[in-house]
Amino acid sequence: MTDPADLPLDDDDQTILDRLAAIHAMLDPPPADLDDRVSFAIALDSLDAEVARYREQEIIGSGARGSERTHTITFDADSRAVMITIVARPDSLVRIDGWLAPAAALQVELRLPEPAPRRVVTADAAGRFAFDGVPHGIAQLLVQPSGDGTSPRVVTPAFTL
Amino acid sequence: MAIVALGSGRADTGRGGAGRADRVGACLEQARNGEAAALGEIVRELNPLLWHVARAEGLTTEEAADVVQTTWLELLRRLHDIRSSRAVTSWLVTAARREAWRVRELSRRQVPDGTAQLESAADPDPGPGERLLSDERDQALWQHFQRLPERCRTLLRIVAQVARPDYTAVAEAMGMPIGSIGPTRGRCLAKLRALLLADPGWSA
Repeated sequence: MTDPADLPLDDDDQTILDRLAAIHAMLDPPPADLDDRVSFAIALDSLDAEVARYREQEIIGSGARGSERTHTITFDADSRAVMITIVARPDSLVRIDGWLAPAAALQVELRLPEPAPRRVVTADAAGRFAFDGVPHGIAQLLVQPSGDGTSPRVVTPAFTL
Repeated sequence: MAIVALGSGRADTGRGGAGRADRVGACLEQARNGEAAALGEIVRELNPLLWHVARAEGLTTEEAADVVQTTWLELLRRLHDIRSSRAVTSWLVTAARREAWRVRELSRRQVPDGTAQLESAADPDPGPGERLLSDERDQALWQHFQRLPERCRTLLRIVAQVARPDYTAVAEAMGMPIGSIGPTRGRCLAKLRALLLADPGWSA
């Protein structure tokens, strides 16, 4: 007799798999914004970028009674780390202070969902850069490659401001 | 029998076949030509699969969402080598697993006693799960599923998310090949099926 495990999939198997998928979708659904977040993050002009992985984040201050609420995120790529501190301003915009390590005077681009224009700044020789007056929401950073081709383009995942 | 795969991301994409594979291939081609937005359709279809790959590895919801995103970003660099629907599915599953292992190791190092991990991670708890399931057949299925070995639960959770033509590719990517010619049922599904067919709660 043939081992049931070796038989081809039939409709009963498909029913079981379909119900298993439905149950898992019910009990452990992905976050509602996951598709939008991924679609935003991968809509890049260039496919060739090193991915900076999200390493850690820290939130300091409650933002209540005038105390500043800051949010620090570190991303690691093979060639470089990108660290940012997000400071909430009283006018409900945010300021992003960042630095690149190792330091390099590279162009840094802040991508926001359309129709917001992309913003580009150049880091100073110590690797510091800043974006001010940025709206809350989803964002992504791109560090452009160096002109001499020694350091690759780096892209962070999308994160929430 | 009408089967509705609620929110599995696969319900409206059909059971697969040449139409789907061609569509996925065309999206990949467009993306290679600079239209990354063309991947949107594949993202919507395969995100639930990658989500469950990451969650089955025991990651928290935040960690799993990061892993899914990182996996897609890594795919961009590999698009020139990956041309078929089968290849993209299997590449994504393999990459998401590897990424999930990396994140898990990292968070274990940061939480030495592991308690924070246990509280926030892992499979949905069977107790509350069963209470959420109003359908009697779903309750029977979930009870038997929970009693399978962990390896089987992981495999079935993942392959349940994919269209049938990609079933074998995904099982291979999970390190549990099923069948050498066409997709066969495999041990885990055969076991679950036998338990269910003997259960009046399912067969009724």
